[in-house]
Amino acid sequence: MGKFIVGLIVVVLVLSQTAFVINEMEQALVLQIGDPKRVIRDPGLYFKIPLVQQLLVFEKRILPADARPAEYITLDKKRLTVDSVSRWKIADPLLFYRTVRDYRGATARLFDIISGRLRQEIANHLFQDFIREERESIMAEVTRGTREGAKKFGIEVVDVRIKRVDLPEEVQASVFARMRAERERMAKRYRAEGDEKAREIRANADKEAQIILAQAYKTSQALRGEGDAEATSIYAQAFSQDSDFYSFSRHLELYEKVFDPGTTILLRPGSDLLRFLESPNPVGKQK
Amino acid sequence: MDQFRPRDEQDPVREIERGFESAKRWMEKMFRGKGAWLIVLIVVLGYLLSGFYRVGPGEKGVVLLFGKVWAITESGPRYRLPRPFMDHAIVDVAQVRRAEIGYRSSGRHTKTLPAEALMLTGDENIVDVQLLVQYEVQDPVKFLFGTHQPELALRTAAEVALRGIVGENTIDFTMTKGRMEVQQQVGVYLQKLLDAYNTGLKITQSRLLAVDPPAKVKDAFHDVVRAWEDRERLIREAEGYREDVVPKARGRAQEEIRKAEAFKAQRVIRAEGDAQRFKEILAAYSKAPPVTRERLYLETMEKVLPKVRKVVVEGSGSPVLPLLPLGKWGDLETKPPAAGEKETEK
Repeated sequence: MGKFIVGLIVVVLVLSQTAFVINEMEQALVLQIGDPKRVIRDPGLYFKIPLVQQLLVFEKRILPADARPAEYITLDKKRLTVDSVSRWKIADPLLFYRTVRDYRGATARLFDIISGRLRQEIANHLFQDFIREERESIMAEVTRGTREGAKKFGIEVVDVRIKRVDLPEEVQASVFARMRAERERMAKRYRAEGDEKAREIRANADKEAQIILAQAYKTSQALRGEGDAEATSIYAQAFSQDSDFYSFSRHLELYEKVFDPGTTILLRPGSDLLRFLESPNPVGKQK
Repeated sequence: MDQFRPRDEQDPVREIERGFESAKRWMEKMFRGKGAWLIVLIVVLGYLLSGFYRVGPGEKGVVLLFGKVWAITESGPRYRLPRPFMDHAIVDVAQVRRAEIGYRSSGRHTKTLPAEALMLTGDENIVDVQLLVQYEVQDPVKFLFGTHQPELALRTAAEVALRGIVGENTIDFTMTKGRMEVQQQVGVYLQKLLDAYNTGLKITQSRLLAVDPPAKVKDAFHDVVRAWEDRERLIREAEGYREDVVPKARGRAQEEIRKAEAFKAQRVIRAEGDAQRFKEILAAYSKAPPVTRERLYLETMEKVLPKVRKVVVEGSGSPVLPLLPLGKWGDLETKPPAAGEKETEK
């Protein structure tokens, strides 16, 4: 009985030193007195010789390398603060262990490579290009270069991305000043445009009103002319039936209207009107 | 000092044997022989029972056999072999998770983070952006084994995507009409990155909560809005002026035309009346012209002469000039002349 229990404990102890499980997110290196003996890439149950062999476990997942922001200078001599971030994984644990040993060593090397590549790429591009059109292609280039450079450390670089691009403090102030000036320009333009449009509309309205009035004047003058013409022809047609009588009757009418109490008329006794004044039978004057 | 001296000089193997011996004696005393098996049984049973676990609602269990994915289990009580043979991890796949870029909310309070929110636009302006990303775990296996700290990777990737897209567009585009487009592009870009990193995460929503000018230039941006309002106001006012002036002019025009029409009609009708009258008189006149002529003449004189001052001058064609009393006439001007009064000068 006691022997069984002792046996069981011994078995468990030995197994715990020889058997090990590598899970899905890990990969491992078996070292024999510090000398790499075996690379384990796949998850599963594995065995090693106890005491003589040691196990070194590495991440198999994608790892971050978040560099500290650094300053770079563009082709047009503008300064930029770039915060880049890289994703990588250990492709070859053996090479990784031999060259950089651990994560800290790996990230330090990666930062060196990335900042070198970035410096070179940024120095070859204009500021405007870097922040705008060509950012993607520049970063693809940096990724390619970093991938190449990291290969010899057993590292596979997934990508290198720019997290932040910032301008140095004093440049920011000038950007703000420029933005302000630009907005002021826009505000002025809008107000001036408003004035322009308003004037145009008012002037058009005035013009329209003037035209309407002038046209009305034209129409009314024509109408008045028509009236006059029609009246004239009516008169002419009527009066020409006996122009002598017209002249006679029209004159009589006129006398009636023209002579007012202020008028003095000189009459001769011999005139047609007064021919009976001196004699009931005037001579020679009767018609 | 004496107590640390070894008790005797016997070899260690015998010491261990003696220890087991005493333990065995103690156990025999306790369980009278059969009790030891009972303990072994309990220990083994307890070990086997340690394989029970529970998957909650909305969760998925990932079961590993010797570190390799063996099964994915749904919610409910589950059993796997105990460690080290099998192991499991539980991932919540129903929970909607959120990442806040440019601000942090705690309860109802939100705090902006300028360092994270301020970014360069494509036209070298700086804009203040807040992004909310909602996501869920789509693939628990990738989530667990694809990338180190996937949710942290998402935060970083979201910043990369946001700054990348904002950096490709102008400030005005991002702030106004392009906002939806930028928002959508950020979501697409972010998902692409998450897929490349094997995070097993799926973006359900990426929303731009705020796209504002930075605090330092905010007033200038607001003034642009005011200027636009001013512009619209000026235009509306001018349009109001037009609405006022043009109809009034039309009214005046109508007025003038109607007046002219009235004039014309009146003129014609009156002419016709006059003509008619003349024709009537003429018709009567032509029946006896000399008499009528005389009558008309005398009638008119009858009407005219009573109103006026009349002076009868003697002798037509006489060489004597009549003397006109000018001063006296001036005095008489105010007095109405008496009807039938006659003055004779000689």
